[in-house]
Amino acid sequence: MNLKNVLRLISVDVKSGRLIRAGIFRRYKERRIYQYLLYGGACIIGLLVGLAVGNLYSRLPVSEEKTLLHQTAQQLFTSLPTIVLLYSLVFTMMGQIQRSGIKVSIQPPYWLPITWGEHTLAASFAHIIGLPLASIVLLSTAVFSLSIFLAELPLATITILALLASAFLASTTTEIFRVLQVRITGSVYKSSGKVAIWVRFLGSLLFLVVFYIVWFSISSGSGLITIIETVTGVQGAVWFFPYVWLGMTLSSFINGLTVQTIIFSLASIAFILLLFYLAVKFNTRFGLYEPPAITVSKGVYVPKTSLLGKFGFSSLEAAVIRKDFKAFTRRRELMYTFIMPIIIIIAPLMQYLGMLGASVPSEASLFLVAWILLAPGPLMAMMVGIMIIGEEGSSVWLFYSSPITTRSLVKCKYAFMCILSFAVMLICGAIGILVTRPSLQLAFTLLIESTFLIFALGAVSLRAGIKGADFVETPRPRMVRPLTSVINTLMCMLLAVVTVSPLIPYAMSLISLPFTIPLPEIDVYVAISISAVIAFVITFVFYRMAFKNAAEFLTKAEV
Amino acid sequence: MVATGEYAAELRGIAKRYADIVAVDYIDLDIKYGEILGLLGPNGSGKSTTLKIILGLVKPDSGSMKVLGINAEEDPVAIKRLVGYVPESPRLYEFLTGLEYLDFTGDIYGINASDKKTRIEEYLEALDLEGREGDMISSYSQGMKQKIALISAFLHKPKLLILDEPLNALDPKSARIVKDLLRELAAKGVTAILSTHVLEIAQAMCDRIAILYEGRILALGNMEELRKKAQLPGSNLEDVFLKLTGTGAIKEIVEALLK
Ligand SMILES: Nc1ncnc2c1ncn2[C@@H]1O[C@H](COP(=O)(O)OP(=O)(O)O)[C@@H](O)[C@H]1O
Ligand SMILES: [Mg+2]
Repeated sequence: MNLKNVLRLISVDVKSGRLIRAGIFRRYKERRIYQYLLYGGACIIGLLVGLAVGNLYSRLPVSEEKTLLHQTAQQLFTSLPTIVLLYSLVFTMMGQIQRSGIKVSIQPPYWLPITWGEHTLAASFAHIIGLPLASIVLLSTAVFSLSIFLAELPLATITILALLASAFLASTTTEIFRVLQVRITGSVYKSSGKVAIWVRFLGSLLFLVVFYIVWFSISSGSGLITIIETVTGVQGAVWFFPYVWLGMTLSSFINGLTVQTIIFSLASIAFILLLFYLAVKFNTRFGLYEPPAITVSKGVYVPKTSLLGKFGFSSLEAAVIRKDFKAFTRRRELMYTFIMPIIIIIAPLMQYLGMLGASVPSEASLFLVAWILLAPGPLMAMMVGIMIIGEEGSSVWLFYSSPITTRSLVKCKYAFMCILSFAVMLICGAIGILVTRPSLQLAFTLLIESTFLIFALGAVSLRAGIKGADFVETPRPRMVRPLTSVINTLMCMLLAVVTVSPLIPYAMSLISLPFTIPLPEIDVYVAISISAVIAFVITFVFYRMAFKNAAEFLTKAEV
Repeated sequence: MVATGEYAAELRGIAKRYADIVAVDYIDLDIKYGEILGLLGPNGSGKSTTLKIILGLVKPDSGSMKVLGINAEEDPVAIKRLVGYVPESPRLYEFLTGLEYLDFTGDIYGINASDKKTRIEEYLEALDLEGREGDMISSYSQGMKQKIALISAFLHKPKLLILDEPLNALDPKSARIVKDLLRELAAKGVTAILSTHVLEIAQAMCDRIAILYEGRILALGNMEELRKKAQLPGSNLEDVFLKLTGTGAIKEIVEALLK
């Protein structure tokens, strides 16, 4: 294995995150500042946290609390590898899913004189560069600086090594998973024809949901201490599960069990090597495997006359809407959007159902109702709105060269976004009403406000999405410039508050506050009407602005 | 909006730079109705850029033009409605099937359902794509994608075809079909502008050839006129091309490479 090749491959992968846009790619100069900022920042924060806690510890007089703190720190160290493992696993898996299905992305290594071992090693490292690595840096510096005060330097050293090993373990697992997934879904497509699209769609959603639930249940809960206790508890119980061996090494070390420490650390190393070996083997075997074509239709071609025509859409607009619908059910990076509403429902419901045992304070369920009925639609509108143009990717030339007018473009993209958001709103709303049984007036108010927000925030986001579209597709579709996305989110939050503000007195009347805020009393329906006017103005203004941006987008034609 | 006027496209003093790269350097070009004009030039000579300018995908820095009698500044969409375009290595929606893609572009150009059906089926058969039209484009070979792009450019019976390296990746039979198709269409008054860096294609397909070099048109005319211009009577296009673009020292270059 040529380590130089590995480094070169990693650096290519890192560079694939560059912003490529006309004008700046000639005589390209790397600006490393962001990377320095990320890792340097993580380092500094880690140090500060470690120093702060350590300082606190050293000031404590010798007491029971001090021993307790020491023990908690030890427990924390023990649980860190497993936590980092889970975190890195979630992160790298998500990264894999968002990679574009387009084959151009990482092919050159296939015909260059690079071995599969080098390729796999580079891929495993490249997966963790970025946020996972930054968080490891943060944790490591914190552990290190804290351990000076605890006089636990050897433990800290082992912990840091274990953290690095955990991240590598996670990304190697992801690599194996990726290769197998390509191979297995390949055989599914082959056998199932048109159904394959739906199998893939539902399968991907299910996978994401399961992942999020796992992630949610470890990361929520009642604070850090519980997580640590859970992890350390579970770790001991499933000691035979290789993924916790790194944690077991640490706990053995803390308990002074030298033999166990050595056994678990050797076992961990062996396990990592085995996984890596497997990853290389799978890559060698299936790395070049191309999933077979999904055959969607066979037999006679019958042009569809669509329902959309009846609602005043031209054949061009209807065609684009149908195409986008297919895009959202067939492209994995776009399926990702559907996960959001599902999570919005599941996460609070899990808590709500968990709380049912105890007496549920009415405010809590009120918030839950408000959240489930109000949030999913507008959030969907924001997400879809901002990426609905950038989603075209490098196929965007078709829009440039086709006789699409700015008006049509904005109209059909806006319509698609609204249709999708309303569907989500209605489904989530139905579930929410069934579970929480709000009053009719409350449900009506929330759903109608959600409708207003969909129209308003959708228009705002669509405009931003046109303006900040990014059509770069490798290694993952960018869809929108990050800065645009951040600004749009802030903008939408602000405008959402403005839109629903007339209903604040109504909301206040539902919650019993210990104090009273002097607010004017408005009838709910009057408040809704005011809110409707605000939403209409926002929608109108931004929809109009979108025309201007769309005209610019179509004439500038960044090809 | 029936196109009138003498020329299918008139370019006057068109120029385009990218930062400090001159892609197109003040060209004048008149393209007659019903002719097949070839833009021939080495890589990076500005062929694709010129084609994109004619279609309105790239805005020239200076100059004016009329396409199909329509002023490009005034009504770009009207031009696009009458033009069929195939870009260089077209990127199609990989998540659609070939058939869905053609159905989509047919709708984009507003072809009615029955015409759409017959034309799509005819083209699929002519270009040997039958049996694969229901598969997702992601599984197509480069040549198959090129065929789909070509069909979608022909589907709405455009008045002007703008084809960037149209025979790229096509098998001989399909290339022949496209060539003959262009001839037939030209006879019916359809104008075609195509770019190529392959001399044989230019010589075989085009009525007139414009030799582009570093963004300028070095020579324009049919084979006879080009030979005259290069003062190489009786020679083939390759010699003419090499002489005009000043790349005569081929032998020395090759020898240097082999050292
Ligand atoms: N989007 C762009 N940004 C910067 N430079 C470009 C762009 N498109 C083309 N160029 C440059 O313009 C010149 C002409 O390109 P092009 O028209 O594609 O040449 P070709 O004759 O090979 O089709 C080349 O030097 C190319 O690098
Ligand atoms: Mg070109």
